[in-house]
Amino acid sequence: MVEAVTASTPKETVKRTQKNYRSEVKPTWCPGCGDFGVLSALQRSFAERNLAPKDIVIVSGIGCSGRLPEFVNAYGLHVVHGRALPTAQGVKAANPELTVVAVGGDGDGFAIGGGHVPHAVRRNQDITYVLMDNQVYGLTKGQPSPTTPTGMAALQRSASMPKMAPYEGVLEGQLNMLAMILVYGCTFVARTFSSQATEMSKLIGQGLDHRGFSFIQAMSPCPTFYNTYDPWKESFVSLPEDWNDSDRIKAIDLAMEEVNDGVFHSGLFYQEQRATYMDKVRSVFSKARGDQVATIESMLDQYA
Amino acid sequence: MSSVDLTIRIAGENGEGVLTVGDVLAEALARLGLDIYTFKNLPAEIKGGASMTQVRVMDTEVRSPGDALDILMVWNQENYDIHVGEVKPTGAVIYDPDECTVDDSLPLMQIGIPLQKITKEIIKVMKSKNVLAFGILTSCIGIPFETCKDMVTQSRWGRRKEFLESNINALKHAYDYVAEQGIDLGLRVPVDRKKDHPQLIVTGNDALCMGSIAAGCRYYAGYPITPASDIMETLAKAMPKIDGVLIQTEDEIAAITSAIGASFTGAKAMTATAGPGFSLMVEALGLAMMEEIPVVVINVQRGGPSTGLPTKTEQSDLNLAIYGAHGDAPRIVIAPTNAEDCFYTAVQAFNLAEKYQVPVILLSDQHLAARTQGIPRPDLSKLEIIERRQPTSDDGVTPQEFNRYEMTEDYISPMPLPGKHTYHYVATGLEHDEHAHIDYSPEAHLQMTEKRFKKIEPAAEEHDMVRRYGPEDAQLGLIGWGSSEGPILEALERAEAKGYKVAALIFKLINPLPEKEARAFIDSIPVVSVVELNTSGQFANFLQSRLCVPLKRFNIYTGLPFKAGDIEQYIEGVLQHG
Repeated sequence: MVEAVTASTPKETVKRTQKNYRSEVKPTWCPGCGDFGVLSALQRSFAERNLAPKDIVIVSGIGCSGRLPEFVNAYGLHVVHGRALPTAQGVKAANPELTVVAVGGDGDGFAIGGGHVPHAVRRNQDITYVLMDNQVYGLTKGQPSPTTPTGMAALQRSASMPKMAPYEGVLEGQLNMLAMILVYGCTFVARTFSSQATEMSKLIGQGLDHRGFSFIQAMSPCPTFYNTYDPWKESFVSLPEDWNDSDRIKAIDLAMEEVNDGVFHSGLFYQEQRATYMDKVRSVFSKARGDQVATIESMLDQYA
Repeated sequence: MSSVDLTIRIAGENGEGVLTVGDVLAEALARLGLDIYTFKNLPAEIKGGASMTQVRVMDTEVRSPGDALDILMVWNQENYDIHVGEVKPTGAVIYDPDECTVDDSLPLMQIGIPLQKITKEIIKVMKSKNVLAFGILTSCIGIPFETCKDMVTQSRWGRRKEFLESNINALKHAYDYVAEQGIDLGLRVPVDRKKDHPQLIVTGNDALCMGSIAAGCRYYAGYPITPASDIMETLAKAMPKIDGVLIQTEDEIAAITSAIGASFTGAKAMTATAGPGFSLMVEALGLAMMEEIPVVVINVQRGGPSTGLPTKTEQSDLNLAIYGAHGDAPRIVIAPTNAEDCFYTAVQAFNLAEKYQVPVILLSDQHLAARTQGIPRPDLSKLEIIERRQPTSDDGVTPQEFNRYEMTEDYISPMPLPGKHTYHYVATGLEHDEHAHIDYSPEAHLQMTEKRFKKIEPAAEEHDMVRRYGPEDAQLGLIGWGSSEGPILEALERAEAKGYKVAALIFKLINPLPEKEARAFIDSIPVVSVVELNTSGQFANFLQSRLCVPLKRFNIYTGLPFKAGDIEQYIEGVLQHG
């Protein structure tokens, strides 16, 4: 099963452009949504690699960002809330030849689905996870998410509606997902901003090229329920030019410290090469069976 | 009639190895060509607590665990006190006099054999106590020494080479001891019976694993849970040999969603769990129904609710299997009846899932899962393996024109696979149209809901999904499902011998309900009762909701499997007193 199912595919001669990855479905996002930028960056990075739409599977959970697969001309698997990562791992394990991208929001990935993140990292499957972080639940109209800043009470849609954060603001601490995923041991960690199209598609592309689990935090403001465009434009700074992306401890330090400084660094925080889950599975296969796949009869023999 | 019908129970402290004695004894008897039925009852802890294993042996098919004991071997007082009441008046008790004081007033043959002392002073390796006990039993029932020597060498006892010598020594000593003391229980098994077909000796869970592999399962994801864990353990050894992937996930939600992801690409995918894990899976079950993605979910039922009775048996997850998931969510539910049937039911489960592009829930239970049975070796060349419908290469349509959820005549639509077909689409848990586009219109919801329900209706007509037994002119009809088939059939035979006319209808397929067979059975018999191992009569309620007929119920909810005697008594009660 791990063998490619692409044997019958004729040699690729088509040169695709970003347009080839647009589906006939028009995005349902609000005007100005950061997710438009992420969609376009993803399509651009597919085009740059000339990937065949039939070889791409985009897996998503629930939320505004979970709608993304609908808008891409490729296979998509839009599943239940919080479960994009385990589903994507099943896709990849069953057919490692596919390009598998998981997409979703901060609530989907780090609230309801938070328990899956460390394990996806542990397995290091060759999957690219683009997390669109708007620090708010958009599709349910403005409740605080795990990444909403503590004390934030500005989630007020209009003067006539109540504040969505209970009491006068969010009581819980704000998750530092970049620090978390670095500590989990992720082999590719980057952050980018939906308003910086070129850098975003470059980093997503690097994530696609990375053999292993790549995590891209795509800061993607929600103009409707928590408009952070202006403050984020101010607080986004690039990583220093001489940044060493192979020092995990430094990357963790930066992810912890930047919160106090009120800045977001964009760029590739950390990367390393490590055997993927399927690399290890293949080596288990060859040890277990030698050159030949066992027959079902031989399986039954052990009970004879 | 069987020339032999012996029920042997070994009971001791959990973790001491009594279960192994029972396993090897069962295997030795099966290798002699005899039919066996094992039953284990143990606590949920790793060490400590009373634990027992039981083997019933006959030379015709054994259908239930046995009502009372012919031989009871106990290693300590606690287990003597628990089990001695179940020994037949003609039966025998073997006990360790240093560990246990017996009640001399009982009219039983009670033989003291100092197992602990002999092991300590003569064998000198405490690990070999189990083999000594095994040898005492096999010697008493007349199994030749050489047969048992082979068993000791080939069984898990033989794997520990450092103990092999003392184990053989213990076995030899057991045979010598029984001969020297002139022990004769008057209970012997025939040793010259040869089966005319090759046999496999499997547990219910083993058979489920082999059936799944034979059906083409090449992706398994699961999370450890009693009593389903050994499915994952067995497949973990098997899958790498056949290029199948097995992943131990972080929870059951990840297990089922990753299986759905694997199946989306065309792999035959499965997960197995028990009640608590199955509860976590129901949201994703609805997803697979909505997206029409085949997946097989084995639920090895245990006593519930909540953590309940992890190591005991019950048929109480039927409601969850039929109804679990929000919305109108049709699925197929199927239940194997014995260990042999586990093999074929696993094949059927995959065939049904692939054919109807739907989740199939296979309901086993703790008793069936752990039960060892000698079964005729399956003829793989005769297995029908069904693959899911896929687009043909000459459809001549563009991906934009292709309808993943096309309304075909049988409501089943060709499913394109990533990497293989250019008809890429987005499977979504949101309501959608034929093209797989999100569509909340009344028309789309009506059309797709009907599609999802109607496509699985023909499953009710599939072969070997309902089995009818007994006379046409029965006074009483018993309806059962899954693993209660055996005890029901044995009770039927006993009732027949007493002159009662009782019939039975056993459902392997629970949903979609084979209504025609159910109605014909209920309409033709004056009194019909539904026999299940649960409190509320979950299958009876389901039948009544579908058929609107009154049904009697017989329910046992002790965490133990049915004895044929339980059902026999019930039959007599109903027929004598109404």
